[in-house]
Amino acid sequence: MQKKVLTEQALYYGDVAMPKNWDIDRDKLQSDILKSQITDSPFPFSKKFDMLNTYLREHIHLEYNFTLINKKMWGNIYKPSETTIPLLNIDPVDLRNSPDYTLLYGVKVKDCFVRIYYEDNRRKGRSWDLELKDNMFIMFPSTNMYYLTNNQKDSLNFVQTITYEYI
Amino acid sequence: MAHFAKLGANGKVIAVLTLDNKDMLNADGVEDESVGQQYLETHNNWPAPMWIQTSYNTYINKHKSGDDSKAFRGNYAGIGSIWDEDNNIFWPKKPYASWVKNTTTASWDSPIGDAPALTAEQESQNTADTHKWSYEWNEDNQSWDLTDTKA
Repeated sequence: MQKKVLTEQALYYGDVAMPKNWDIDRDKLQSDILKSQITDSPFPFSKKFDMLNTYLREHIHLEYNFTLINKKMWGNIYKPSETTIPLLNIDPVDLRNSPDYTLLYGVKVKDCFVRIYYEDNRRKGRSWDLELKDNMFIMFPSTNMYYLTNNQKDSLNFVQTITYEYI
Repeated sequence: MAHFAKLGANGKVIAVLTLDNKDMLNADGVEDESVGQQYLETHNNWPAPMWIQTSYNTYINKHKSGDDSKAFRGNYAGIGSIWDEDNNIFWPKKPYASWVKNTTTASWDSPIGDAPALTAEQESQNTADTHKWSYEWNEDNQSWDLTDTKA
């Protein structure tokens, strides 16, 4: 008897463990998210963002042996007690130009929960919940719908989203 | 062209970059690793001490030119290699849990030494392509097992 895995749905998550004194400048990312939201402009590429993006791509390649190519990046601000609508980063009628993976990074978050929906063959609508913390990332297939909840009443949550293709 | 390994946590190599030799010249015009490290820190957002120069032409402490005195840091660093600062060697991934470092050859050795040599008959059968004899390490039994992959 043999088994062949045709596809898998995997989540990748963890902390961004930069070298000592080289932490990701989350204040800069937070400020860039705020500016891009206020001015309704694209999230700007910066040296600080590049540090984060390079770390993620290189470590995913090192640990799991596949290469990520950036598609889009943006930041979101979630109000206290806000729950987003279900989010999906692929265009079902344009899968060719849709990303493979969605990555969420906790820039400044508190009590921020992510629920990711998935299907297990005929068992539809299953979900997996994770808490997104500061300096933590969660990456999952972009075909999975998800939503975020800001589960406290005091502060805004700043979340960076990056989408990737893989080769 | 110089090559530098980018180290991550626990000395694991996460990337290898090339650097133009002119970018690692010191004030005296001599190639200096620390100058290259500083250049890479500036241009690649990663701390200088975590860039370690590696030799593209070195493998198991031998140099491709045949002049082994030019061998540098044991092996060319590949992604996933481990930097061993104490022995000044880049180690490839450990093939089996029981294998041990051989710092002379910059390679991993089985705890019972190398695999036995094939007999003349086995060699001739391999040459004739009727068999494909080789020894493979059996981690459970800690032994070299003779296998014929063509059987």
